[in-house]
Amino acid sequence: MTDREVLLELKNVSVVFTQRGSRQSLTAVNDVSFKLWRGETLGVVGESGSGKTTIGRTIVRINEASSGEVFFKGQRISGKISPELDAEVTRRIQMIFQDPMASLNERAKVDYIVSEGLYNTKAYRDEGERQAKVEASLREVGLLPEFASRFPHEFSGGQRQRIGVARALIMEPEIIIADEPISALDVSIRAQILNLLATLQREKGLTYIFIAHDLSVVRFITDRVAVLCKGKIVELAETEELFSFPLHPYTRSLLSAVPLPNPVEQRKRRPLPYDPSQHDYSQTPPLWAEVRPGHFVLGSERELHTWAG
Amino acid sequence: MARLDIQNLGPELFDFASFDLAAGERTGYSNYSYWRATVTKFLQSRQAVIALAILGVLLTFTLIQPFLPGQRDPNLINIDPETFRHVRNVRPGAEFWFGTNSIGQDLWARIWTGTRTSLLIAILVATWNTTLGIIVGAIWGYVRSIDRIMTEIYNVLDNIPTTIVMILLAYMLRPSVTTLIIAMCALGWVGMTRFVRTQVMIIRDREYNLASRCLGTPTGRIITKNILPYLVSVIMLRFALTIPAAIASEVFLSYIGLGLPLHIPSLGNLVNEGRQLMMIPAMRYQLIFPSVVLSLITISFYIIGNAFSDAADPRNHT
Amino acid sequence: MTENLISVRGLVVKFSLRGRVLTAIREASLDVPQGKTLAIVGESGSGKSVLAKTFVGMLDANGWVDSGSILFAGEDLATYKGEKQWIRIRGKKIAMVFQDPMTALNPLRTVGLQIEETVRLHQGISGNASKERAVELLAEVGIPSPRERYRQYPHEFSGGMRQRVVIAIAMACQPQLLICDEPTTALDVTIQAQILELIRRLQEQHKLTVIYITHDLGVVAHVADKVAVMYAGDIVECGLVEEIFYNAQHPYTWALLSSLPQLGVKGEPLFSISGTPPNLFSEIVGDAFAPRNPLALKVDFVARPPIFQVSDTHYAKTWLLDPRAPAVEPPPAIKHLRTNFGGGAMRA
Repeated sequence: MTDREVLLELKNVSVVFTQRGSRQSLTAVNDVSFKLWRGETLGVVGESGSGKTTIGRTIVRINEASSGEVFFKGQRISGKISPELDAEVTRRIQMIFQDPMASLNERAKVDYIVSEGLYNTKAYRDEGERQAKVEASLREVGLLPEFASRFPHEFSGGQRQRIGVARALIMEPEIIIADEPISALDVSIRAQILNLLATLQREKGLTYIFIAHDLSVVRFITDRVAVLCKGKIVELAETEELFSFPLHPYTRSLLSAVPLPNPVEQRKRRPLPYDPSQHDYSQTPPLWAEVRPGHFVLGSERELHTWAG
Repeated sequence: MARLDIQNLGPELFDFASFDLAAGERTGYSNYSYWRATVTKFLQSRQAVIALAILGVLLTFTLIQPFLPGQRDPNLINIDPETFRHVRNVRPGAEFWFGTNSIGQDLWARIWTGTRTSLLIAILVATWNTTLGIIVGAIWGYVRSIDRIMTEIYNVLDNIPTTIVMILLAYMLRPSVTTLIIAMCALGWVGMTRFVRTQVMIIRDREYNLASRCLGTPTGRIITKNILPYLVSVIMLRFALTIPAAIASEVFLSYIGLGLPLHIPSLGNLVNEGRQLMMIPAMRYQLIFPSVVLSLITISFYIIGNAFSDAADPRNHT
Repeated sequence: MTENLISVRGLVVKFSLRGRVLTAIREASLDVPQGKTLAIVGESGSGKSVLAKTFVGMLDANGWVDSGSILFAGEDLATYKGEKQWIRIRGKKIAMVFQDPMTALNPLRTVGLQIEETVRLHQGISGNASKERAVELLAEVGIPSPRERYRQYPHEFSGGMRQRVVIAIAMACQPQLLICDEPTTALDVTIQAQILELIRRLQEQHKLTVIYITHDLGVVAHVADKVAVMYAGDIVECGLVEEIFYNAQHPYTWALLSSLPQLGVKGEPLFSISGTPPNLFSEIVGDAFAPRNPLALKVDFVARPPIFQVSDTHYAKTWLLDPRAPAVEPPPAIKHLRTNFGGGAMRA
């Protein structure tokens, strides 16, 4: 495990949004740290307001980190960086967005949409090569090359999402950050996209950060999961470990609230409410400790002791 | 449809059918074209079609009128060959279709020439204001870092009374078409800027723009390829409404004596001249004709502008 | 045998769109048992929302009920033409809760006034009495400090709280039927659990009949007594919740259940349905699901399958249930559900 390469590392990253003109500020991401190993799929789960989308956007430099640092293969990529490094980040780390209806430029042809990254980084020698790359990219996601001359509104939600994947893939990235890629899709189409992502990972050795709020999907597709609550990571563990032995009360509450598609089992369950005031961190800040092998939890000494049993 | 007799269905129908996977990918071709839908919706509004027709007729006529046979020069002071007197204030009749004005000029020729001039000025002003407004507004709306300073500049410019600036400029420079255009362009673009900036800010953070940023697209290309195409419909509306507004400004300046010189007929001049004779019932025609033309143009542009804006909104495409 | 609150027979709903006619609901029949919870499951384009809107007369202006009947309390709602007829039903006997709590409330009026509006309109009380009733309703849906919150505006409430207010407005006139159109899709999962619990409690207390429209099978498993599966404007399978989950018969239901990640095996591809739903502008010959169904029979392309009863309470419209059809292996996920949880009469 430890001899795998660390592709991405976040160290104490915080992202604070300030309202221009007023004193009010919103801490979307609060002192988040984690490592991303090559080849894995890391799930980042949380409810709305947990900061999971902001983390993804901070990594690809859409948002700025207010403090802390992001490292890609050992190099710092947060804050002010050289244009060459910025171009490098654009190539190596790409993103897939949530809403297939909003994430494509309606007034541009699919050809332009998919090649946009290529135009920006001039990663092709001539027009012929560019077209070949577009064609190859469309084929890889299961679309027909003739779709390149059409407009997004002619396609269904699942097909549009695949165009978004093709757009990211054509850059030949090493990391893809998938920001809730299936929440806006129909139930039967979600499976298509999940299968596609899994296939691509196998074939191209991609590393994924999978941001989601749907825990059942996360269980199916991820290797490790980080649970976010109000901008802080409260628990991080391998997927099966997290689902079998959730330690932090927020994680347990979250898991208990997800309904199972199985009437007999589901009706036996009771949701566990989560009360944030049960934690008292006024005297000492909580610790981030490895309570079980590979399983990290945020809590005070006493809490960690109780939860670990 | 007759109900199929279930019992009579042949047994061979209960075999498995062959399954074509690729056929599924080709479905969903929706054949919807944004501009086609816009034009269709526009043509559905009878008012808009009528207004467009009226405008079309007016425009065509202003352009071809000089080339029609028997037209008089608008500045020619017509003299009655028998009495050698100026043919003043003649009511509309067979000789002069719209009559003559107080110094004997043919009102028919003057009105069409005047309309031509006024429209020319208005279109130039509208084009300038729109273009400059879009450029400044788009940059202002998109680049967050300059928002503060731009807002301050805008507040200053916006508070300058445009009317007074127009009057000042028209007064300082000699009256001419160019002067008028400069006066109306000096601050006329500021309103468009604010409008475009707001629209840009609305769509600035939509996911497809974030995706473009993530792909490294430079700001200029994001503005031209991602944002401006969405604003075409609202911009066309503003453009359409700026034209009658420019003509109105020109009329106003004429009222206060800062309009075009008399040898360049314009709707402003004509309305002004007519106004001076308004109280005499026999001479009212000199006010009525240019006013009617002016009203038709204004109303048509308003109707067309609004109808187009409604038609261009994708939510109205059924 | 519970009585049916609403009985739908052979309903056909059409829309005129861009000059053509789209058939959104193609001869659907449904019974909604009184006091129970019915879940209508389907994906986008299946017609589930349209079906619910016909119950309250809120079809878009370009839609109409072409034929069929909707019997409710002795009246046929399908024949209702004007607002005067609907105003007696809508809000009063049948109330609806929509998906997006952000847009369901008027941002310019206080929450209390919006509840009072319904109360005054349908119950004719006003002044202090209606205010008291509004506060009472806010308390009933679990909003703390209802008297203070009565004066607040929607933007001062969180998503879950807003949905509670919407439910309060719906409950104001003590309707007999509550239709919830994806009420929790826009909410976090913990809030979802609370809202579902709230609706269940209200149902118990007021002997409500509830219809849930959703695509989330987890929610269905949690709340439903009876389930109707819709595809392309038709109800393709209908039965008690255990029957649908543990003894599904229609290939579309199989596909829906199999594509759930909860039932998938990690590392193996998930079962997915290829292609897209059919074009409802053109007349559909045979089974609408046939082009996407790897298990389709030739007859599926020729004749529309009739209703095949699997039990008294369970039917499916698939030719696979015809005695002449070959025996078919359902996908592994379905087999797993059947063997581990199914019981009672099952097709071998």
